Amino acid sequence: MTVVTGFLGSGKTTLLGRVLSEPSMTNTAVLVNEFGEVGLDHHLLRRVDERTVLLGSGCVCCTTREDLVGALLELLDMDQRGKIPRLDRVVIETTGLADPAPILYTIFTDPVLQHHFSVDLVLTTVDAVNGHLHLDRNPESLKQVAAADKIVVTKTDIAESSTVRGLLPRLGTINPSARILEAAFGEVDVDELFRPGEMGSHAVPESPVAEPHELHDVGETHSVSVTFDGPIDWTAFGIWFSMLLHARGEDVLRVKGLLDVGEAGPIVLNGVQHIIHPPEHLDGWPDEDHDSRIIFITKRIRPEEILGSLDAFQKLLGARPVPRRTEHSVSLP
Amino acid sequence: MCVLCGQDFVAQVHWTDRHIEDRARASGPAADPGEYQRDRRRDRVHRTVLTNEVLRHYGLRVEDWSGSKYVLRDRKGGTELIQHLGSLWPAAAKLAGRPLDPLDPGLREALSAAHDG
Repeated sequence: MTVVTGFLGSGKTTLLGRVLSEPSMTNTAVLVNEFGEVGLDHHLLRRVDERTVLLGSGCVCCTTREDLVGALLELLDMDQRGKIPRLDRVVIETTGLADPAPILYTIFTDPVLQHHFSVDLVLTTVDAVNGHLHLDRNPESLKQVAAADKIVVTKTDIAESSTVRGLLPRLGTINPSARILEAAFGEVDVDELFRPGEMGSHAVPESPVAEPHELHDVGETHSVSVTFDGPIDWTAFGIWFSMLLHARGEDVLRVKGLLDVGEAGPIVLNGVQHIIHPPEHLDGWPDEDHDSRIIFITKRIRPEEILGSLDAFQKLLGARPVPRRTEHSVSLP
Repeated sequence: MCVLCGQDFVAQVHWTDRHIEDRARASGPAADPGEYQRDRRRDRVHRTVLTNEVLRHYGLRVEDWSGSKYVLRDRKGGTELIQHLGSLWPAAAKLAGRPLDPLDPGLREALSAAHDG
């Protein structure tokens, strides 16, 4: 399942329209919130009305999207009865103002859906022309960028090249773990777009975008990349992180990383606000680097606070946190 | 909840408990079911010990309750029954009367002092 998000008018539908015409996407179902001006022509198109159920805690990201549950169960039912060709993928297009976290929460917590669907990618479209404006004015677009596994910069054909050049580092600074692709009028390499991380896993951090220092600050959002001087105790990390999410969950926009827990392979950690993907144990490391690496993207929490807190927990964790220097290479395609 | 054994029918596995389930699943149907239980118990004991290091600062304690739940207590006899770490922190905040924040300088100092001492 892929979640496509992006601010109003940032080209989500154009991108989808382009992508869905590929033969490899035939067995893909699409859920959209609204029929936009750009018509999508696809035989498995479903419209869902955003219906959210706020849970007792009142936190916005822990809401269940009942509409989505209904639509996905219906698709699952049709798939299993053989009424439609075998489903390979479901693409969910959110409204421009939507926060992607409730969609993830819905899929991870529904008693049926959690066993049938998994989210492999969150794609965020950013308009090259108005991207800066959206990021300046709308906290939603910041959340969407932070939640992304891949960011597609659209409308690069009509934007000034200097604007695009300014936008790319800014996106990389907000979310160093996302891969950034460019698309002019929806023209993008479909394979590249829908291929999850090289490991077949959704959460392998790409090497961070070139910035000579390890602490990135953009206004109120900060990001910090951390490693440890040895294997860490996964139980202790779970205690620290669940405590952090309870206390400051809304300020933790994103966390993504590989953790060395003293076993053959690392644990993949991927979270958007309170919503944590089921952590995955890998059988081996994806590359030569066998150190833990984890990126925190936060709002209002300074990188020193994260590092200081991990440092205080070092006896429980079994290793000391070290800020990770990012490489000077750019991982843009 | 089953009235006889007190066991909940939990549809939701908290992400911090997932590794035990995954390990059991990976070992396949032929594996010794006792090993899963021992692994799970060991993990719960370990988690209880570590969590108490943090909770001490707030005057709270957590104990394993027959391998199915945890009991959280304060020093005045207040108790809360909890399922996993996700429900521990709200319950602990309720008993302690303040939020438990890992970024809190007081907690950081207390943990560092325990480490040095």
